[in-house]
Amino acid sequence: MAPRWPWILVAVAVIALLPHLLGTPYWRGILVICAMNVMLALSLNLILGYTGQLNLGQSGFFAVGAYVTTVLVKSFGWGFWPAALAAVAAAGTLGLLLALFAVRLRGHYLAIASLGFAVITYQVLVNWESMTEGVRGIYAIRPPPPIRIDGLVDISFSSPMMLFYLVAGIALLVYLALDNVVRSPIGETLRAIREDEVSAASLGIDAARWKAFAFGLGAAVAGLAGCFYPSFVGTLVPGAFNIVESFTMLAMVIVGGLGTMIGPVIGAVVLTFLPELLRGVGELRLLVYGLALTLVVLFMPGGLVQAWQLLRARFAGGRP
Amino acid sequence: MSGNLASASLAAGPALLQAQGLHKSFGGVRAVQDISLAVPAGAIFAVIGPNGAGKSTLLNLLSGTYQPNAGTLAFAGRGLVGMPAHKRVRLGIARTFQKIRLFKQLTLLENVLAGFHIHHDVPAWQYFLPAGAFWRDFRRCREEARALLDFVGLADEAQKRAGALPYGRQRMLEIARAMATRPKLLMLDEPAAGLNAAEVALLLDRLQQIRARGITVIVVEHNMDLVMNVADRVFVMDHGEYLFEGAPREVQANPRVIAAYLGGEFA
Ligand SMILES: Nc1ncnc2c1ncn2[C@@H]1O[C@H](COP(=O)(O)OP(=O)(O)OP(=O)(O)O)[C@@H](O)[C@H]1O
Ligand SMILES: [Mg+2]
Repeated sequence: MAPRWPWILVAVAVIALLPHLLGTPYWRGILVICAMNVMLALSLNLILGYTGQLNLGQSGFFAVGAYVTTVLVKSFGWGFWPAALAAVAAAGTLGLLLALFAVRLRGHYLAIASLGFAVITYQVLVNWESMTEGVRGIYAIRPPPPIRIDGLVDISFSSPMMLFYLVAGIALLVYLALDNVVRSPIGETLRAIREDEVSAASLGIDAARWKAFAFGLGAAVAGLAGCFYPSFVGTLVPGAFNIVESFTMLAMVIVGGLGTMIGPVIGAVVLTFLPELLRGVGELRLLVYGLALTLVVLFMPGGLVQAWQLLRARFAGGRP
Repeated sequence: MSGNLASASLAAGPALLQAQGLHKSFGGVRAVQDISLAVPAGAIFAVIGPNGAGKSTLLNLLSGTYQPNAGTLAFAGRGLVGMPAHKRVRLGIARTFQKIRLFKQLTLLENVLAGFHIHHDVPAWQYFLPAGAFWRDFRRCREEARALLDFVGLADEAQKRAGALPYGRQRMLEIARAMATRPKLLMLDEPAAGLNAAEVALLLDRLQQIRARGITVIVVEHNMDLVMNVADRVFVMDHGEYLFEGAPREVQANPRVIAAYLGGEFA
């Protein structure tokens, strides 16, 4: 294995520099969204890219992360970090349960069941008003509390820049942990299941169990991304977790490159910034996603990662 | 049909795998009917029969890919009926497929590595944050995987995609992958199909080496040269039913077997 630490240093440097290159509060806000999208794309890629399960319910787990954190903080007086931990556990458990329930379902049927989960989650958010305030929304959500150790550190997350550092730092840790998982024997197992379940069973692999593992872990990571959403926006309405968000995550993963670690990161970055650069019409964002997804599926199924590899091969091939 | 069972047990010591009255039907098709057999430990046990005789179905029953409609099945004294395929692997039962089922998008090395699934001894947290035990396991599996690729003559192609291999080599890779589970019983469904003469010679040699390592082998095969050369016992099926069992020479001389093949293979 090639050493990873030079790339980690590059990533840290890029994260450190970005808020200075994009200096306005607006663009720094986009950066926070981008770091969150990276986590969401990574989470879906574990389930879809590495394990081969078409999960269209990821917006539901994202919502569980956001709402459980916020409700625990605002209505039950929990601290942010314990609430976030509980939200991640809740999203992960729901993912595990959905996977165990859907274990016999493949292809279309799993996709429909997971889509159903996202729809149900959305409806619960809209209708359980005593808990979620429904479409009226929850307001005045505060950022994560400052980290203070007397005389040593005092980090406040009230500015978009510091919030970006927090979310991007966590996204980097998530990336490294998932990268370790997919390079480990667990990764070998998940890819074996993706390729051929009967064959995997002949090697002692319990496909149901490992699909549930991937689903649960992916759901927990989506929940983790969700924890930071409300404290950044300041308000929480169900509309942010419409099932179309599952589609945008799907677009990020596929446009970037399914089943590679770096692909979904690139996809999330490109699809977060592209609509911003073409700012104007209201629903332009979805149009961009739809167009990008269609073009990639038709002409470059391996996504931007595959495009890069082809370019590099051509470049290298041109030399003597 | 219990006659063959007794003779097999008497012929070669204790049975590793024992089946009694296995039945399997698909709709109206009775693919396996009342099959009883005892596979002696340490032997190469060949299953032959004309096309559609039910050989693959029998193997699928033994490996747990299918469950029987009736009958009992025991491996080293443990009942297998109802046990799913992935659990049987942990008892030491491995297999290959007649219609090759490699992980085509993965490399040869990755295919074999996946075969170590039940043998990793790493604390769960080290999959997220690799440390000592993880790297020991990592090196050990790679060493063993390369040795297995070497064993089947594929050491130089470890980084190729499995789907890019010629047919005969794909069959050998499936054997290496099954061997990675460290089986006590290895079941091969037509391992010589599509192999050229040199590859068949290699296969024959490797089967003998596998037996020498103390691994029991069940091999379904149409290549009679291979069967006659390597098998200790031969079990003949026709139309889902038991036809004959004996030493290779006895099978070759048996008029019922010859009739079943219409004189084709033995004439
Ligand atoms: N999954 C299945 N569904 C329906 N019928 C099946 C199935 N598997 C096998 N059969 C039928 O059962 C019978 C036995 O098939 P099987 O594949 O076990 O034969 P075989 O001895 O392995 O033949 P071959 O030498 O051609 O591989 C055939 O008539 C076949 O069509
Ligand atoms: Mg067959």
